[in-house]
Amino acid sequence: MNTPGYHGRYLRVDLTTAQASSVAIQPDVLRQFIGGSGLGVYLLLHEGAAVVDPLAVAAPIAFVFSPLVGSPLTTSAKFAVVCKSPLTDRINDSLAGSAFAIAGKRTGYDAILLTGRASKLSVLLIDDEQIVIEPAEELAGLTNRETQAAAGQRYGAEYQVASIGPAGERMIRYATISHDGRHAGRGGAGAVLGAKNIKAIAVRGKQRAAWADPQGLVQFAKELSERSFGPATAKYRELGTASNLLLFNRLNVLPTHNFQNGSFVGAEMISPEQLRVAREQTRSSCAACTIGCEHLYGLSGGGSVRLEYENLFALGPLCGIADSESVLQACRLCDDLGLDTISTGGTIAFAMECAQRGFIDAPWLQFGDGASMLRAIQMVVDHHDPDHPVAEKASVGNGSSCGNIGSLLALGSRRMALVIGQDTIHFAPQVKGLEIPGYDPRGLQMMALGFAVGTRGADHNRSGAYEIDFSEAVDRRDVRPESVELAIETEDKAAVMDSLILCKFLRGVLTDFYQESSEMLRLVTGWNITPYELREVGRRIVNAKKKFNILAGWTPQEDTLPERLLCQTVPEDARARLTPERLRSLITAYNLARGWNAEGWLEV
Amino acid sequence: MLVNVEFYGIPRSRAQVPSASATGVTLGEILQDLAARFPALGETCFHGSLLKPGFVANLRGDRFVSDPNTVLQDGDKLLLLSMDAGG
Ligand code: SF4
Repeated sequence: MNTPGYHGRYLRVDLTTAQASSVAIQPDVLRQFIGGSGLGVYLLLHEGAAVVDPLAVAAPIAFVFSPLVGSPLTTSAKFAVVCKSPLTDRINDSLAGSAFAIAGKRTGYDAILLTGRASKLSVLLIDDEQIVIEPAEELAGLTNRETQAAAGQRYGAEYQVASIGPAGERMIRYATISHDGRHAGRGGAGAVLGAKNIKAIAVRGKQRAAWADPQGLVQFAKELSERSFGPATAKYRELGTASNLLLFNRLNVLPTHNFQNGSFVGAEMISPEQLRVAREQTRSSCAACTIGCEHLYGLSGGGSVRLEYENLFALGPLCGIADSESVLQACRLCDDLGLDTISTGGTIAFAMECAQRGFIDAPWLQFGDGASMLRAIQMVVDHHDPDHPVAEKASVGNGSSCGNIGSLLALGSRRMALVIGQDTIHFAPQVKGLEIPGYDPRGLQMMALGFAVGTRGADHNRSGAYEIDFSEAVDRRDVRPESVELAIETEDKAAVMDSLILCKFLRGVLTDFYQESSEMLRLVTGWNITPYELREVGRRIVNAKKKFNILAGWTPQEDTLPERLLCQTVPEDARARLTPERLRSLITAYNLARGWNAEGWLEV
Repeated sequence: MLVNVEFYGIPRSRAQVPSASATGVTLGEILQDLAARFPALGETCFHGSLLKPGFVANLRGDRFVSDPNTVLQDGDKLLLLSMDAGG
C-alpha cells in the first residue's frame, strides 16, 4: 500500500524512444527527501545528471510534486522543476505555484521525469491513462500565453499546460517554464525543456493520493488559512513584495546601475506606492492560496502585468530605469518570451556598463534608457541585431569577434564577461553564473554569505539570510563568523519548505515552523515525524545539492562574490564594505558548521 | 525629545504619510505617541509600547531595535517597517 500523500512512483519518459515507464519510489526515500526540491535532487543524483551537459539529449529534467499538493493546506499547490542548470552547470530547482501542480499529481505520479529528445517540437500529454508525444511545430515561436491558450483550445480546459516561450525554444540559458502566469524562473529550466523539443506539457488525471487523517487535516488547514489573514502576511496581501523598494533604497541596499550604487534617485517614481496612484491595480494569487501576494498593474496600451520586488528591481534600478511604463513593459515581455527577469535585468545592466566603459560597441544601450532595455530584451531571443553586424560592431576590445549583442546577452552575464574578457568578470553581477537578486550584499552581509555558498548560485529563495540582516541578531554591515548558524538555519528551513512544498510567505504565519510542518506531514502521510527529524531532512537535502555540485565539478573558488562587491564600498554608505577576507572567514565558519571541511568539501 | 519617524510598507499605508515627527525618550514612548495620532497605525502595528510580530524598527538606518526601553536621541531618525523582506 502507498504511503498516504503519495502515489509511490514517478513517471519516466524517454522522449527519444517515446517509451514511458512507472518507477517505484521507496517509502524511506520519500521520508528522507519529502518531495519537491528534495525528491527532485534525489532523482537527479540517481539518474547521474551531475556529469551530463544540461542541454544534452541524455540530461534529465524532473517536475516534482509533494505530499501536500492537492491538500486543503494554503499555498501548497506548488511544483518544483529540478535539473542541472545550463546557466550555472550546477543543481537547479525552480518552483512555481499553480493548478499545474494539482493536475500533475492527479496523473498518479509523484514526479514526471523527462530524458531524451523528441524528434520535433512537441507537446507531451499525460493523463492517468495515456502518455502521448504530439508533434506541435505550429506552436513554434508562440509566447507562453499564446501557447497555453492554443493548447487549451486543442486539448480542452481540463488539461493544465506548462510551457516554454521562444526563449526556451532557443535554449537561452535563463529561459523559464511557465503556467498561468507563474514561472519556474531561475536557472534556465526552460532551456532544458527546449533542448528536449518539448514546447509544453499538458497534464490531467483522476488519481487522488489518500490522506492519513482527513478530518484532522481539514481542521488544521482551516485554522492555518485563518491565521494566514493576520498581520504577518499583511504586507504581501496589501502591497506585494514590491513594497520592499523604498525601504531598500533608504538603507542603500537597492542594487542600482549594475551594483555601482546602493540607491536610486528614481525609486519613488517606480514604487508600488506611486504606481497605485497612477495605474489600475488588481490582485491575484497562485492556486489554493489564501494570501494572494500577486499585484498586477495596468499597462498604458491595455492589459496588465504582475509586479514583484525582484522584477521591479532588476528591470528598474539595476538598469537605471525610472520610467514605470518601460519597467512594466519589460516585465511583460520577459513573461511572454519566457525569460527570467532577474537574469535578464542583471545581464542587460552588465551590458550597459560594458557599453558605457567601451568594452562592447553598443552606444545605444544606456543606463536609464527604457527603449534600449526593451530592445535588448527582444534581442536576447532574436539573437540578432540587424543594425549591428557581428564582428564589426560587437567586437571585444582585443578585436576578436564575440557575436552580435543579442547572442552575447543570451549567454548571461558570466559567460558574456568571459567572452569579452578584459577583467569584465569583476563586475558581472553573478555567483556561479546566476545573476544576483535585489539585495546589495555589502550592506547585507549575512545575505552575502548566503549568495556566495548557494548551491544554485546567488539566490534569495534557497537562503533567507537577509531575514537575519533585517533583525537585531547581527550588525548587517559587520557580520561575524559566530553568526553563521543563523544563515544555515534559513537554508535548512528553505530546503524543507521547498520540499513540502509550502510558500515562503507563509513562514511568518507558522509560530514553530518545524513543529507545525511535522504536524502537517503527520496528518497527510501518517508519519510520526519529529521536528528534529524534519530539521535533519533539511540538512540532508542541502548536502545532496552540494554533492550534486561536487560531482558536477564544483570547486571552493566558486563560492565567492564578484570582485566589485569585495573591493568597492557602496558609495552612499561608507560602512557598507565587504572584504575578501571577511567573506572568506564567513564561508569557512559556514563550511565547518555544516560539518564539511574548511574549504567546503564533503564526502560524495 | 523630537524624533523623525519614516514609515515603510504597511506602517506607511496605515499612517498614510511617508514620515512624521514624534515625541518620547524611548522607543515605547515614541510608539505610543504615534498610536495616539495615527490610530490605524497603532492598531495594526503596535501592542501598547511594543511592536507587533511582523514589524520592526530601525534606528538611523543602522541597527534594528524592538526593545521598548531603547533610548533615542533628539533628532534621531526611526524607520518603521514590515519585518519579512522576501521577494
Ligand atoms: S503568497 Fe503569493 S507566491 Fe505564495 S502561494 Fe500565495 S500568491 Fe503564490
